[in-house]
Amino acid sequence: MKNDEKPKENAVHAAIDRLALGPIWRKFFARRVPKARWYYGDGATLLLLLGILIITGFALGLMYSASPDTAYASVVNITHHQLMGWFVRGMHYWSAGMMVIIVLYHLFRHILLGGYLPPREGTWVIGVLMFFLIIINSYIGYTLRWDERSVYAIRVALNIFHRVPWIGDELVYFVQGGWTQGSPTLSRLYAVHVIFVPILLLGLASYHLYLVVFHGVTTIPERLNPPETAEEQKELYDRLKHHEDEGETFFPYTMVESQIFAFVIFCVVLGLTLALGPRELMPEANFTETSFPSEEWWFHWYSAWVAYLPPWLTTWFYLGFPLLLFLFLILVPFVDHGANRGLRRRPLAVGMIVITVLGLLTLTGLRLESEWTAWPTKELVPLPVQAQLGPDAQRGHQLFTEYSCISCHALGGNGGDVGPDLTSLKVRLSADELRDFIRQPPKHVAMPAYGERLSSEELNALVDFVLVAQTFPQKY
Amino acid sequence: MDRRKLLTLTVAGTGCAIAGAVGVPVLINMMAPAFAESDIEDWRPVGPLTDFPVGAMQNREVVISDQKEHHKLSRRSLYVWRRSDQEFVVYSRACSDLGCPIVWDQGSEWFFCPCHGGIFDKNGERRAGPPQRGLWKYSNRIQNGVLEINVRSVPPMA
Ligand code: FES
Repeated sequence: MKNDEKPKENAVHAAIDRLALGPIWRKFFARRVPKARWYYGDGATLLLLLGILIITGFALGLMYSASPDTAYASVVNITHHQLMGWFVRGMHYWSAGMMVIIVLYHLFRHILLGGYLPPREGTWVIGVLMFFLIIINSYIGYTLRWDERSVYAIRVALNIFHRVPWIGDELVYFVQGGWTQGSPTLSRLYAVHVIFVPILLLGLASYHLYLVVFHGVTTIPERLNPPETAEEQKELYDRLKHHEDEGETFFPYTMVESQIFAFVIFCVVLGLTLALGPRELMPEANFTETSFPSEEWWFHWYSAWVAYLPPWLTTWFYLGFPLLLFLFLILVPFVDHGANRGLRRRPLAVGMIVITVLGLLTLTGLRLESEWTAWPTKELVPLPVQAQLGPDAQRGHQLFTEYSCISCHALGGNGGDVGPDLTSLKVRLSADELRDFIRQPPKHVAMPAYGERLSSEELNALVDFVLVAQTFPQKY
Repeated sequence: MDRRKLLTLTVAGTGCAIAGAVGVPVLINMMAPAFAESDIEDWRPVGPLTDFPVGAMQNREVVISDQKEHHKLSRRSLYVWRRSDQEFVVYSRACSDLGCPIVWDQGSEWFFCPCHGGIFDKNGERRAGPPQRGLWKYSNRIQNGVLEINVRSVPPMA
């Protein structure tokens, strides 16, 4: 052969041709689209996070042992002994948390802008399915660590299933794979986390993307002149993408903005991993120790919500909330018949999202305080420096802990928050009133009656102490 | 019937046959655990009567199953209260709200749940928080001077 370069070029061309890459390039990358805004990058970000989760998941799956007696040890091994294990686990953990945040952002954005309006109902419905899959996997993910937090997370889910009328027991048997939590429970969670959900997610994500390419995404001019029907929208969309100023080529003009958005989020994930590492492990899964389990931070709001539910509502809430949320989300595009897109013309959507976001943040804050939790302690409640206690009150100070008053009542902000802080009572009680209250609290008050347990000396000492304590400063 | 219709039916028919032949057994197989027998009794020892002073609430560990591959999970701690000489109350530590592990507080003689503020009194009655019912109790009996519980007498997740 005389010319060395030609066959090479031909080989590349041949590969492109045999792999049919040309149409992909033209239909996907080189296609014309209406101009988008930087905040449209959340979709690309989700794709990136899914990618990271899958790749890091591959690595974790090679070392993880899905058996109750070895699972925890394998996670410890990955984290502390395997080369770069902490990094891989950290990236997996933080990408998962970030994915929950970004998927909420993605969902909220489309409610705000009306992204689901015709002809994009299909894109939306697929998206809603993916949203639930992501939430499910973000839940199962931390059960696989098999520490205390894991087994109680499983129990919470099982207790919710148990509330289903008629088939509660059967459903629990089905989910845990036997009559109690054990080896099959972990196998099931593992299978769902690494097989069922990822396969479904990948399939749905591909379809979602196909629909995004096919029907496009909501555009700025759509907001200015809301198209009434799907046909009108398609016409407008076609006009826009070939328009000199309003349209652009997807690669690199649209893509660069999405990519930068995704890159910023990636840097956050990376930064968190480097700064904090993977989620620290609690003691190994067990049902014997005294433990203080808690959900991952992206579910804190739910716990706070539960804490404030009246008991009669709980079953309805546990079953109804996910169901209603699902129905609401699936049905939104078929119920919302307005043509308006963009936040300025959608006050109802804006109101809803603002309330939702504020609600989530407030509830998360409440959970971090967890003021509803009483907890036994052997510590004496600290006293203000200048406090003078007589001998009786001193005894009372000890009884305050001995009888666990401190588990529920704080003094000057020190102690439980379930009952009122005794230094900030609105009405101070007299000695007699206190005595009666401690002996037999009124019916509606959730406080034990100490009448039969305290001797009268003890009662007097305790009352003495509380009388003094009522005069302490509200914070010390 | 024309040829086209026959061919359509053939495609649909063979497709459904395959889907059914694989799908139905798979479904039944996956559902199998749901049909586990539920009216089984499984009595396990908690300890000799002499271990339990009358009136005291005690924390005890019991092995609730013989499964080798998850023996760590099979150990459960529970609360035993000898209410009177012959009368015992055995509580599961799973909160009746969503299953978090309750703790006995000797000072107040109440049980606290660490999750959503569930509080129960000595009798297992709900006193505060979201729990809708009292604590789960194991049925118990005394056999040759040993306290035994039926580990299958509380709901499967407790
Ligand atoms: S699990 Fe005990 S109060 Fe919710």
